[in-house]
Amino acid sequence: MEQLTLPKEKLPELLGEIGSKFELVGPIEENGFLAFRKINDPKEINLDILLSRVPPKSLIFQQTETLFTYAKGKDSKVQTPKIEETKRVIFGIRSCDARGFDIIDPVFMGKKEGDYTDPFYTKRRNRSILIGLSCNEPDANCFCTSFDDSPANTKHVDILFTDIGDKYYVEVVTEKGEDLIKKVSKIFSKATEKEGNIRKETEKAAIDAISRKMNTEGVVEKLDKMFEHEFWVETARSCIGCGICTYLCPCCHCFDIQDESTLKLGGRVRVWDSCMYEEYTHHASGHNPRPSRMNRVRNRVYHKFNYFPKNDGIFGCTGCGRCIDYCPVNIDIIEVIDKVKEVNV
Amino acid sequence: MVENKELIRVVEETVSRDDVKYVVGYKRGTYGFQIKPAFAYSAKDAKEFFYSPLCAKNLATYPLLEEKLPLRRGEEAEHKKIGIVVKGCDSRAIIQIIQENGLEREDVVLIGIPCKGVIDPKKIAKRFPKQSKFVDVEENNNDEYILEIGGTSHKIPKDELLSDVCKSCEYPNPPLYDILIGEAEEEFQPEHFNRVDELEEKTIEERWEYWEKHFQNCIRCYACREACPLCYCKTCMADLLEPQWVRRSVNLSENTAWNVMRAFHLAGRCISCGECERACPVNIPLMELNKFVEKEVKEMFDYTAGLDTEEKPFLGSFRPDDPEDFIS
Repeated sequence: MEQLTLPKEKLPELLGEIGSKFELVGPIEENGFLAFRKINDPKEINLDILLSRVPPKSLIFQQTETLFTYAKGKDSKVQTPKIEETKRVIFGIRSCDARGFDIIDPVFMGKKEGDYTDPFYTKRRNRSILIGLSCNEPDANCFCTSFDDSPANTKHVDILFTDIGDKYYVEVVTEKGEDLIKKVSKIFSKATEKEGNIRKETEKAAIDAISRKMNTEGVVEKLDKMFEHEFWVETARSCIGCGICTYLCPCCHCFDIQDESTLKLGGRVRVWDSCMYEEYTHHASGHNPRPSRMNRVRNRVYHKFNYFPKNDGIFGCTGCGRCIDYCPVNIDIIEVIDKVKEVNV
Repeated sequence: MVENKELIRVVEETVSRDDVKYVVGYKRGTYGFQIKPAFAYSAKDAKEFFYSPLCAKNLATYPLLEEKLPLRRGEEAEHKKIGIVVKGCDSRAIIQIIQENGLEREDVVLIGIPCKGVIDPKKIAKRFPKQSKFVDVEENNNDEYILEIGGTSHKIPKDELLSDVCKSCEYPNPPLYDILIGEAEEEFQPEHFNRVDELEEKTIEERWEYWEKHFQNCIRCYACREACPLCYCKTCMADLLEPQWVRRSVNLSENTAWNVMRAFHLAGRCISCGECERACPVNIPLMELNKFVEKEVKEMFDYTAGLDTEEKPFLGSFRPDDPEDFIS
């Protein structure tokens, strides 16, 4: 892994250069929150706010994806939208959000040879180069360390930037990352051992600053035993059934497919869906296997902390804390898991 | 000033009644300035109830979220009351729902709280970020909020943290209640809802640009709808497939349709609790839409929602003497 440094004041220059060669996406502040948008001027980028409100999963697993369009009548034809295949650089992604891709990749790209791969997700994922940015000052509800992750983990990104004072410490992780570094200017310097140590200390300080912890030990087995427990009724009592926790989750990936048409034109779209909605499991017959909020809240917890680990050997949660931050009724997933462990079965 | 001891005593007493199923109120949340809805099934559950200026959430939505499971043959539905802790606006929501036959008066026991206005959770979280432990806030008699973080005491002028919607509130005291905690507050002299006035001064183009900027961020999580005590349709028009009024595609056009339709459906019904705006994860100033419609309804028809359970709902009423002059 190549270790470089970049003086902070050179960042706009670097991003300008990346922007001239690739499509550049980064975090900007908009209406009081952070959003990943196409960057035209590197000065727009905001690196002070930790997490974007909507996770960058939306760049690859788009909220609305047109699968095909059609026209009726004499000139009828079915068209599949083209997805740009030139490289796109996503700058400023945080560890937890990048790890989200590792969790949902198998869903859309298959686990083994011969599995179905979704062309839309796969193309966007392959064209993306992730430049991560370590979190030096984690937020109140950050708990990525509970999943053996770190705010400065190189594992999920192609290149990782860490703020070490007046410089960025730059680690080039993958081949994709190396190719990118080769294509942009030579404003990087080789990192010294001293700088490497500062980077390590920075990471340690950030890990120490994370105050919340989810203890997931034994939770999979415990959940196996308490599906019918009254606990779920109590946990779901305050849930109002909105989609915030799922839509802002970097790991949630459920979708609905709909045909939308006017008289002559139409298309099939794939849109995000949420297991928190009653309609989500509503059968055409009228029957609903998850008729109450209890069923739905329970499903969300089970999917992340029981089904996912059993099927894929990984929890469906990265510890970004968004569902805790934005739940209108303070259903706190750390508290839920803590209480799961206390339940007597 | 609401004494928590008194509140707990009243909740204990209410939940102990044979005809009450449970009482919903507030308890301290898991971090920062978060509060949680609390449910008391017995007197001992009442201990965790509390009230502070952080208790913004409108709990009137809970009786409507009660899931009625199918009954077995010969089984009769349980007719028990739900106790709810209500501020002025929450009480008005209940009145409005009763007016619309969404609830019966005898379905609920209202524990009224004279309200001095609530803190905007977004404003206080911005002012004091990164609080991983619960922090309570009190209000003194000097129009200041007092809070203590890490041993340091902070005094913040009320105006800086107060929810915008509270600044234009005319009904701090619950118009309908069964038990009132403490003394009724003096009626305030509300400011006009400045945000609507400011918007009205803008040109059509400027206003469209403003709303476009917000609506394009809407992720259609429907938190506004779910948090709203008056969005209680069994099937929302946004969920209908046949006919499909709003498409599922998330784009500016459909998002605008959704938000404008919701505002229309709340015409003469919205009681200005601000719950939709508080719940919105992408900061859409939804109360500006609702307040605009409220103002129109007031000016044209001299109608205010949620004040009298016996009154006819706005859209179900006709008065030849309403102030709208286009008739004459």
